[in-house]
Amino acid sequence: MRIRDSIKIAVSGVIHAKMRSFLTMLGIVIGIASVILLMSIGGSAQALIINQVKGIGSNLIFVIPGATKSGRFSAPASTQGIIIKTLVSGDVDALSRNPAIVAISPEVRGQAKIVYGNNDTDVTYLGVDSAFFPMRNFNVTEGSTFSSRDVDAYEHVVVLGSETAKTLFGGYNPVGKTVRLKDVSFTVIGVLEKKGIGAFGIDQDNIAILPLSVGQKQMLGIDYYTDITLQVSDAYNADFAKQRVTSIMRESHGITDPNKDDFTVRTQEDALSMLGTITSVLTLFLTSIAAISLIVGGIGIMNIMLVAVVERTREIGLRKAVGATTGDIMQQFLWESVILTMLGGLIGILIGSFFTVLVYLVLTYLVKMDWVFVLPSSAIWLSVGVSTITGIIFGLYPSREAARKDPIEALRYE
Amino acid sequence: MIHLHNLEKTYSEDGEVTKALRGISFDIKKGEFVAIMGPSGSGKSTLLHLLSFLDRPTGGTYVFNNKNVTTLTDFEMAHIRNAEMGFIFQSFNLLSRFSVFENVAMPLMYSPHVSVTHRKKLVERAVASVGLEEKLYSEAGKLSGGQKQRVAIARALVNDPDVIFADEPTGNLDSVSGAQVMGILHQLHENGRTVILVTHETYTAQFADRLIHIKDGLLESDEPIKKSRKTKEEFFK
Repeated sequence: MRIRDSIKIAVSGVIHAKMRSFLTMLGIVIGIASVILLMSIGGSAQALIINQVKGIGSNLIFVIPGATKSGRFSAPASTQGIIIKTLVSGDVDALSRNPAIVAISPEVRGQAKIVYGNNDTDVTYLGVDSAFFPMRNFNVTEGSTFSSRDVDAYEHVVVLGSETAKTLFGGYNPVGKTVRLKDVSFTVIGVLEKKGIGAFGIDQDNIAILPLSVGQKQMLGIDYYTDITLQVSDAYNADFAKQRVTSIMRESHGITDPNKDDFTVRTQEDALSMLGTITSVLTLFLTSIAAISLIVGGIGIMNIMLVAVVERTREIGLRKAVGATTGDIMQQFLWESVILTMLGGLIGILIGSFFTVLVYLVLTYLVKMDWVFVLPSSAIWLSVGVSTITGIIFGLYPSREAARKDPIEALRYE
Repeated sequence: MIHLHNLEKTYSEDGEVTKALRGISFDIKKGEFVAIMGPSGSGKSTLLHLLSFLDRPTGGTYVFNNKNVTTLTDFEMAHIRNAEMGFIFQSFNLLSRFSVFENVAMPLMYSPHVSVTHRKKLVERAVASVGLEEKLYSEAGKLSGGQKQRVAIARALVNDPDVIFADEPTGNLDSVSGAQVMGILHQLHENGRTVILVTHETYTAQFADRLIHIKDGLLESDEPIKKSRKTKEEFFK
């Protein structure tokens, strides 16, 4: 029997019972639509995070206080809120002397209420060196950033994040105005361009950036740093630079046994790889849950195909009488099952794509996120493949039952 | 064409053994029109199933066109049914959701050597031979009983079989439609086709050249039918 004839008969069977075919397909439609949507959202989230990590600058290396245990995903204790005081000015001096490092900015961080007139808001304030701004792509839309002289001179100047400026000053230009942070007065010298949510979920628009000296000594009263950001020359490979930074830090801290490191060095690639893996695992997990509905859908297909085999017993008998072989009958019912699941898969792809576009539009235009539209072709091919395989697997048993029918018994069936 | 020797068929169900055929022997030559008659439960349907390769004997020998059924696989039997046999059933067995064309074309779907374009020609010719050209693309389910049986005859003829098996072909028809169907079978026989008819109606059997009587799974009689033009004329009237 020609495949064309098998498909024609199978299509006719599907069309003949339109409503039943549609209801049977529904499980597959929902399953495939969910897989498409979740894979797309996962892909978009991954692209968004990668853009954010790349957006914080290029060739960056971060030195974080506290050791990291072996394992890719272990985090230094400092990132879990434990205060570690191992990063000090001597480290910055040692690192600065290395020719591979083109820029360096130690950072301190705190939380406080910032006040202007009757307006106030809670912000994260950063104490940084002047190199921080170009290194981290923090550009101003109003005024300017501070210089290293301002840092050395303990100038009480502040650069505000776009959202902080908006909250405190509405639509007015804040440059030259005085704000209070923990009851210390600062002159606003610049407003940053909108940056959005940064890597690791930090709101980069609701911040106040102060000279490192002021932030560290006067605001926090500490003599250590929260972290150190370095920019290495393009001429150096990231892994090589990481090794150099690690050895300088060990030397600076007098560490000879790598197991006794009291700091962690991470490159942007490390962060990208870690975040990429996390989002991939999350996507896989969510997609696996969606795939369960495909199994449920497949069982529905099997059930309805078994009903179809019983209903069409006489047809099977007739086809066998006029020369259909066991293989011909099996092929016919298998095609019917595959057509049901493939059709369900295609409708699922369309619905899933529709919702992917909808999510993009809502997040971009209503929530104002820098959402990236991702509809991976792998999701589409996977859906087509999975729906076809579902049809074959769950159609196999009913088809076998049909093919095994005795022609005489089948012809007598009422 | 057909050679039966001591053919037996025994069914076993729940330990109970039923002998449907208990050793039947006869030959049928090419071009013969044979009627098989017998009371209900005599084994005539079982005999037809064995003759038409829908079932296998449990004893004896059946040779069809020099092929011994006991040596054939299911696959080979299916191919012989497709290429060398045509079937007409009492209940028509048409697929009502398909057109006349699609119903008649069904045996050709299982003939790998018939191309799609040739298939169309063969179907048109078969449908024309039963006088239903104008119904070629009508839905089979919407035809009258007589038309349905004519479509079934076209389906039986489409692959140009050596033998046509007709199982009570007029059983579900009124007398006018029954006469039309028997007229077509008569015409097929006149054209040299072998026809094997199972019936319980004496007047239908009168169309055959030879009448085989079965009773209790045994051959009761096998004799030629005296030609009676009057009977046929009466029937066609």
